[in-house]
Amino acid sequence: MSLSDIWDVLVLGLVLGSLYAVIAIGYTLVYGVLQLLNFAHSEVFMAGGFGGVIALTLIEPAVDPSGLQSALYVLLGILGGAILGGLVAFGLEKAAYRPLRRRNAPRLVFLITAIGASFFLYNLAGKMFGRYPLPMPTMYENRQVFEIFGTSVSVTQLLILVAGLLMLVTVDFVVNRTKLGSGIRAVAQDPEVASLMGVDIDKVVSRTFVLGGLMGGVAGFLFGTNLQVEYTMGFLPGITAFAAAVLGGIGNVRGAMLGGLTLGVVESFTVELWGDGWRYVGAFVVLVLVLMFRPTGILGERVGRTA
Amino acid sequence: MTASLQGVFHVLNKSIVRLAIPVAIGALALTACGSDEGDGGGAYKIAYQGPLSGTNVALGENMQNGIQLAIDEANESGEYDFEIEYFAADDRGAEGDATTAAQTAIDDADVMAVVGPAFSGPANISAPLYGQAGLAAVSSSATLPALTEQGFQTFLRAVPNDNAQGLAMSDFLVGQDGVENVMVISDSTPYGEGLSDVAQSELEGAGVTVERETVPADTVDYGSAARTVVDSGVDALIYAGYYEGLAPFATRLAEAGFDGIGISGDGSNDDELINLAGDSVEGWYLTCPCTDAAEEQATAEFAERYEAAYDTPPGTYSAESYDVANMIIETIAGLGDDVSRQAVYEALAGAEYEGLTKTFAFDENGEFTNTAIFMYQVEGGQRGYLGPVEELAAG
Repeated sequence: MSLSDIWDVLVLGLVLGSLYAVIAIGYTLVYGVLQLLNFAHSEVFMAGGFGGVIALTLIEPAVDPSGLQSALYVLLGILGGAILGGLVAFGLEKAAYRPLRRRNAPRLVFLITAIGASFFLYNLAGKMFGRYPLPMPTMYENRQVFEIFGTSVSVTQLLILVAGLLMLVTVDFVVNRTKLGSGIRAVAQDPEVASLMGVDIDKVVSRTFVLGGLMGGVAGFLFGTNLQVEYTMGFLPGITAFAAAVLGGIGNVRGAMLGGLTLGVVESFTVELWGDGWRYVGAFVVLVLVLMFRPTGILGERVGRTA
Repeated sequence: MTASLQGVFHVLNKSIVRLAIPVAIGALALTACGSDEGDGGGAYKIAYQGPLSGTNVALGENMQNGIQLAIDEANESGEYDFEIEYFAADDRGAEGDATTAAQTAIDDADVMAVVGPAFSGPANISAPLYGQAGLAAVSSSATLPALTEQGFQTFLRAVPNDNAQGLAMSDFLVGQDGVENVMVISDSTPYGEGLSDVAQSELEGAGVTVERETVPADTVDYGSAARTVVDSGVDALIYAGYYEGLAPFATRLAEAGFDGIGISGDGSNDDELINLAGDSVEGWYLTCPCTDAAEEQATAEFAERYEAAYDTPPGTYSAESYDVANMIIETIAGLGDDVSRQAVYEALAGAEYEGLTKTFAFDENGEFTNTAIFMYQVEGGQRGYLGPVEELAAG
């Protein structure tokens, strides 16, 4: 493997990893505030993919878009993904989890509800949009390729990388520097004390879901541009991103980012060395090894109540 | 409605409720249809097992329409003193649903023969069940060679297998100038693996260097695979898999700058491929044991009737499935009053039926006796029909 090969594979890994990282944030935020493994988050991601397709289909993109048009289409797709992802996450919390919280339901009930909601949502999507893959409408001249440090990067890859990293920076800012962020961190650390201090827990929880949903939705749109959009598309990236959140230390936002990027890069190198059939073998061996030595994940101790 | 349910509905947003109600009613309606059976008496059913939902549904619908058309025409013709009904056994093209799909067909005593299973993976699982039930399973599309080598009692293959298709791919590539290195990529389904094995051994037999890779159909990223292909510098690429995988893969290949010959098999030979991948699949060759119904003279009239009925031209295996359904109907008619599952199977196994697309006959293992393969190429956003590979390779 030459140096330029390594650079190529690293870029591919970072592209995939930034998507995993963005999805993983959704898992980790919700886990932080509710100690809930929200397995329906993979369907929020799927909804984002459809949101992008719907938004772009509605405006009927031009066949030969100009640079400005391309940029507009991409923004519109991102917006469509974010809106539908955010809406589904918001609805999910309201309809599925809030009633359970009101009744102080046991942890297991939340988990089963999450799995049930996931089944419901992806089958609903299958009914509504058809059980076959949909192409992402063409937004830009697909084959145009940038050269970065000797490796060629396609528009799609660059888009995913830039959008993914921007979202990571934004969410980090939101969590660490804003009022909502301090609310989220307070609820994650100790919900009772937080509510005594005047934090509206319901509001914080709901907004946490929406924040994760916006991220997951955009990730779904970006993933769709790289592959295609389908009602079952959430499953594998969802499971992998959940693993990424655990790898980084579930409940910890920076951990989720680190975990996502790590898994993406490990997958990419595994595929390069042994072929695509070994993708998850490499990734999950790393997961198990890390958890053997650091059961709380790479950055798992920073936030109060960890797994 | 209990208090807790009311609570749930209360928080559900109105538009979700509006969606949920038709879905719920639809589900009830389906259940109602499912329980309507057992009227029997002068009506026989022909089942179809294939993907009627799921990722490769386009392939399944092509065949379903062909079968349905044959049944409708038979019923309307008035030539038969029995009614034929259609029975759908949806296996989603997946091994996991193959047992259930086969069992629903077996459990309906009016089902006299099955067209299918459509895909090789489910066929491997369903065929033994049909064997135990004595129910003939005539597949017009499952091309995995090993299917006829396992002693399935009632399985008949009405299509040349992948040995013929792999050989045709190899013959075609060897006939092209400057093809010395070929990469063969399987999607790791039984179909993809089988076709890859044959193509690889035929190419190696012809003195071509072959690299073999596997890219599972559910991979989350084709970028790595595209890189591997371009870096290897091969002259041609065989993708043994279905259109749903080839579409994003071809896009990544085009981005990565792959300029060799691309060739795939009948699993990718569908207009959906072009719909999903756009101009990225331009120039790709697609082999198929199926003819283009609209192009071949023998089936042109069928193509018109098909289009009139379904508003879409016949797709991959539509005409072949139509033929198989007609063969079954004629076989049932030929048996007179002695119609039983076993009798239908025995008559089919020994039949020689002149269909629109080809002559259908089977050897003692249920293998098809005809091995012609046809070539298509994506040109100008259309699947163009090039004709029999035998002639292309020779010319």
